[in-house]
Amino acid sequence: MRHLPLTSAIALIAASAASADTVTVVTSFPQDLTDPFKAAFEEAHPEHELEVVNRNTNASVAFLQETRDSNTTDLFWASAPDAFEVLKSEGLLAKVDIASEGIPDEIGSYPINDPDGFYYGFAASGYGIMYNTRYVEANDLPIPAEWDDLMGAEYNGHVAMSAPSRSGTTHLTVETLLQGDGWEDGWAKWKWIAGNMNTVTERSFGVPDAVNSGSAGYGIVIDFFGLSSKASDFPVELVYPSVTAIVPANIAVIENAPNPEAAKTFVEFVLSPEGQQVLLNPAIMRLPVNQAAYENAPEGFPHPFDENFAPGAIEFDVNKSGTRYNLVNSLFDVLITYRLDELREAVAAVQQAEAAHADSGNAEAQALIEEARDLVEALPITEEESLDPAFAEAFQISRADPTTEVVGRQAEIEQEWDSFAVENYRRATELANEAAAM
Amino acid sequence: MTRQTAGIRIEDVHLSFGPTKVLEGIDMEIRPGEFFAFLGPSGSGKSTLLRAIAGFGPRPRGRILIGERDVLDLPPWKRDVGMVFQSYALWPHMNVRANVAFGLEERRLPRREIGPKVQAALELVGLAELADRMPSQLSGGQQQRVALARTIAVEPRVLLLDEPLSNLDAALRVQMRRELLALQRKLQLTTIFVTHDQEEANTTSDRMAVLDGGVIQQIGTPQELYDRPANGFVAGFLGTANILKGRIENGAFRTASGHLLHIGAPVAGAQRIVLRPQNISLTDAEEGADIIPGTVRHREFLGSQIRYLVETADGTIIVDTLHATGGTPREPGSAVGLRVDSTNAPLLV
Amino acid sequence: MSAIGTDAGKRSFTPFPRLSGAAVAGILIAIILMAFLILPVAQVIYVAFLDARTGTLTLQNFEDFFRSTLFRQSFYNSFYVSAMSVVVATVIALPLAYITTRFNFAGAALIQSLGFIPLIMPPFVGAVAMSLLFGRNGSVNLLLDQYLGFKIPFMEGLNGVILVQSIHYFPFILINLSAALRNIDRSMEESAQNLGASGLRLFRRIVFPLAMPGYLAGAALVFIKVFDDLGTPLLLNVNTMLAPQAYLRITGVGINDPMGYVISFILVAFSVFSLWASLLFMRGKDYATTQKGGGGLAKRDLSTREKVLAYGVILFILALVLSPHLGLTLLAFGTIWSFSPLPDGFTLQHFETVFTQSTQYIYNTILYAGTAALLDVILGTAIAYIVIRTGLPGRRWLDYMATAALAVPGVVLGIGYLRMFHGIQLPFGMGPMASWWGIIIVALMIRRLPYALRACMAALQQISLSLEEAAESLGAKRSSTIRRITVPLMTGGILAGFVTSFATAAVELSATIMLVSRSSEAPLAYGIYLYMQSAAGRGPGAALGILAVIIVGVGTYLSQRIIERDRRRRAAAPGAQQ
Repeated sequence: MRHLPLTSAIALIAASAASADTVTVVTSFPQDLTDPFKAAFEEAHPEHELEVVNRNTNASVAFLQETRDSNTTDLFWASAPDAFEVLKSEGLLAKVDIASEGIPDEIGSYPINDPDGFYYGFAASGYGIMYNTRYVEANDLPIPAEWDDLMGAEYNGHVAMSAPSRSGTTHLTVETLLQGDGWEDGWAKWKWIAGNMNTVTERSFGVPDAVNSGSAGYGIVIDFFGLSSKASDFPVELVYPSVTAIVPANIAVIENAPNPEAAKTFVEFVLSPEGQQVLLNPAIMRLPVNQAAYENAPEGFPHPFDENFAPGAIEFDVNKSGTRYNLVNSLFDVLITYRLDELREAVAAVQQAEAAHADSGNAEAQALIEEARDLVEALPITEEESLDPAFAEAFQISRADPTTEVVGRQAEIEQEWDSFAVENYRRATELANEAAAM
Repeated sequence: MTRQTAGIRIEDVHLSFGPTKVLEGIDMEIRPGEFFAFLGPSGSGKSTLLRAIAGFGPRPRGRILIGERDVLDLPPWKRDVGMVFQSYALWPHMNVRANVAFGLEERRLPRREIGPKVQAALELVGLAELADRMPSQLSGGQQQRVALARTIAVEPRVLLLDEPLSNLDAALRVQMRRELLALQRKLQLTTIFVTHDQEEANTTSDRMAVLDGGVIQQIGTPQELYDRPANGFVAGFLGTANILKGRIENGAFRTASGHLLHIGAPVAGAQRIVLRPQNISLTDAEEGADIIPGTVRHREFLGSQIRYLVETADGTIIVDTLHATGGTPREPGSAVGLRVDSTNAPLLV
Repeated sequence: MSAIGTDAGKRSFTPFPRLSGAAVAGILIAIILMAFLILPVAQVIYVAFLDARTGTLTLQNFEDFFRSTLFRQSFYNSFYVSAMSVVVATVIALPLAYITTRFNFAGAALIQSLGFIPLIMPPFVGAVAMSLLFGRNGSVNLLLDQYLGFKIPFMEGLNGVILVQSIHYFPFILINLSAALRNIDRSMEESAQNLGASGLRLFRRIVFPLAMPGYLAGAALVFIKVFDDLGTPLLLNVNTMLAPQAYLRITGVGINDPMGYVISFILVAFSVFSLWASLLFMRGKDYATTQKGGGGLAKRDLSTREKVLAYGVILFILALVLSPHLGLTLLAFGTIWSFSPLPDGFTLQHFETVFTQSTQYIYNTILYAGTAALLDVILGTAIAYIVIRTGLPGRRWLDYMATAALAVPGVVLGIGYLRMFHGIQLPFGMGPMASWWGIIIVALMIRRLPYALRACMAALQQISLSLEEAAESLGAKRSSTIRRITVPLMTGGILAGFVTSFATAAVELSATIMLVSRSSEAPLAYGIYLYMQSAAGRGPGAALGILAVIIVGVGTYLSQRIIERDRRRRAAAPGAQQ
């Protein structure tokens, strides 16, 4: 038995010697995406071998941070631009020059590549509403077209979404609405939608999973989840609301990579027309950034460079988003994720009261309902505060500027918000019930 | 079975478990080839002493010599003593042959020598034909023989037996103790036998040590101990004894209630006399020399004997009378005289 | 020890129970536990005591924790879910244990093996399958809704967590309780019957109190595992519990929220406390009642009516606890399963996908879990021997340290390893130690050591000391006695420990997900997790899950047979009993 470690050590040396020219990529993408790319890349470049390590975005960032002193990773490959921003700001990404053709500078209003050259967009993603056709039919529900539709009482208990703190893509959806509709109205919209949710999932894939299996009717998802589910024959459809953000999914070379040249080769391959073609694989279904790739796109495949695509797409302010990134996540968690039961109760109460008084003309009841609505929508902080570094930096200790005087500790602030939300939801429920009883 | 057997010398051995003294000032010598018994009630320290000789349990103070060598600092496997456990401790995962061969293998004997030695040991205990059985397929008596064969196969210099017969039924016990003795005589092996059963000790041992409270009460042949107990404990532990209080008066013993009993050689300062039940007989006379009057309180029929419990002024006295077929026993409540043959009765200080 | 002689031979050993070999082993084990358990965990938990901004020591974070309503509620929820899981798990385990040990019942061994099966499924896979069957629009509720017009919220909120956890972890109670029931001497029951007790009263007043220590051992384990478990609440989207809160706060992008570490510390501290409390409660209550010639609890024959009832109860329970496997099977063989009681069609395609793409996961799992379990039983046997058979000072601490691994959430251990071992470069170009696949084995070994240790301890306690003394007095050295007598006699227990460690390590994810650095080196649970992250991967993921269950299940069944055989052989040998 004593010999065991020795033999395994020998086996290990043999194994590591065999993989001399390996490119190691840490990614949040599923095997369905990475396997076709691996196959295509290794065919085009037989001298290289692609080694894929799958972690969710957050765990990937944590992994890269924890292992920076002796990095073993060549590439980071994921959707959320914010994760790349974090890594870039911590000096974990390498600046590389990539030769690519046919890729425009912007998609929608969002720059495809990092202006400083630390990371490159390779596929575009839009956000949409995915729904289960069997579910909708069985429950006789409408098909939404816009985010606003999901606020309706008829959707109560049928919607799923993941928490922005857990999914970089969801964060962008949340932020898009906050920027598109404004801070106050954007949050109000999210709260009414959340009031209709049956779950806030902890993984971004939890949403398409819930819709695919039929445990939720509608899901707020990044488009390829819907497209690939549909391509896998699930009875689902995807709609793009007119206000959406088209943002690129990215790839970056890690600073101090063990195999930088091969890493660069892979990035160039992914951006080439040949590599972009892989994105049209039915199990992947992401939008290529290289316009050439759309020539072979199947019928009805969305074309983000088309003028008619998502006409209401907004100017996405990356700086604004970056400043309050963690704050928005935390606010969403405190107001919505962790207090979903209370929020749902309040929203349901308001919806019932409104239904009861739709035509009653009872002014007193209407006033109570208005008051309840205001309480549900109330926010503990203003947009100015959300952008104030003194405030926002309480939530991003690791990236905080040491000279900034912060206003408090995260736990302290969250506790204030929590009491605020719980009390408002409770009072709103009370008022709405009072109104309904009239 | 040719190895030279050895004597054992135990010198001033003390052992405590925390504040409890388990062995106190043990001194004794066991001669080579002797069958020696440690006799005592449970908790007397007899098993602890045996285990100390074998090397188990905490190390006592003092010296234990086997042959000429002090073994107290040797681990059990270097002491060359064979021990048979009360539970036999046969290894359930090995068959009989493997059990017996174990000690020989541990001694690194060549394989060709082990086979015949195992065979010889099994033949010695009469189990040669069961060599391939597993322990669980054997009866209690057979298991006990395997344990014995396993121990003597390694030709130890000393054989230690820890209550080896206590797990057997009465008939088998008598048979086994005879076999054990015969085997010991044949091998001329120094043997220590731990028991709480005086009959076992009496019938087998050349000499024995009676222990109580971690202290040796007396050492001697069974008959010496019975006939001349050193104290009340030994007298009471070996056989039944009536111990009467009194004093020496003019070469005789006067009991506390004033009855005079004849004695052999007087012992200076003796205050107690040991009367064995079979040395007392019942008479109708209630007065006279060596007679103590009393009333029968209880009667037990023992087959060859009848035992009476008689109440006297000196306390309840046990009397055994031979039972002749057809004889009429005394009824409880009847007044009797006890005729005491105290000529050889032991006197205790 | 007075034996300080001049010659080397005499000095090299110390007489009686102390032995330098054991001391060396003890020190080695202590070093292993320090390096791979205590220090990595301490490194993570240390952050809880730091001011996140200035890096100075502070207790402020703990004050914040207790002041937060959310955390207080999470604590309460974790406690509530753990306690309720123990209750539900007891309701599941008690009839199974009682009927199979108390009555002559065909298939008792099979039931015991099946009862072990839930442990060998990654809890997150169980949650997926359970949602499909019992979820809001799962098979059961769809059918209920269609025919009876109502739904039952099995899986809503904390209910779902309790249901999934109790089904997953009840085998801990089943195993311990069955063993305890088997060890009750027949005469205990008979004397109670003789004094007029019978039926339920007999069970309540005699049998259950005597089985209490075994039950408590299992219940404490369930409580702690549920308290620390992360995967199930996360998958069911329940986040107002402590473990998910810790995870969410430790793994967020760019956040370095000390609260996550405070929660980790509280998780570890509370688990250690529960463990200690249960040990304290059991002290002096461990009635080893099997006496010479006693043969465990009397088994009774059942009347036909009772038999029907008993089979009914057992089948119902088995159907419930095996439902995750049923769901998984349907998923593995089904085509599309969406908003319907059963999949639309059936196919073998998913297995084909798995066999063409993912055989390395199976190989890796067998290598990792097998090596880890092997190391576990070696360590477990050594620790058990040192604790029970030697007088080494501080030997109990080996037991405490190894057992403390139970109380360490996998994520905390994973992060601790990354922190501690990433800077260490292995020779021969193997790269940093934290991304070496061997570290996964180490993590699995540490996480599963408590299971193997308990089994080895129990096995050694059952071996009469005289069996070892007999060998020593026949000339066998300590090492030779251990090799030829002690270890062979412990075989059953060691095997049981190996199986438990192996089976649970094979489906472990929480620590490994932090440590896998190449998917070619990833184990099964990680592969299933990967598959389950995409729409097209649900079927192959389930197929991989089924393979895991089959591999481990067959292994478990075979070893169960060996253990049974061993037990029978030993039970028949009176010399082997205390």
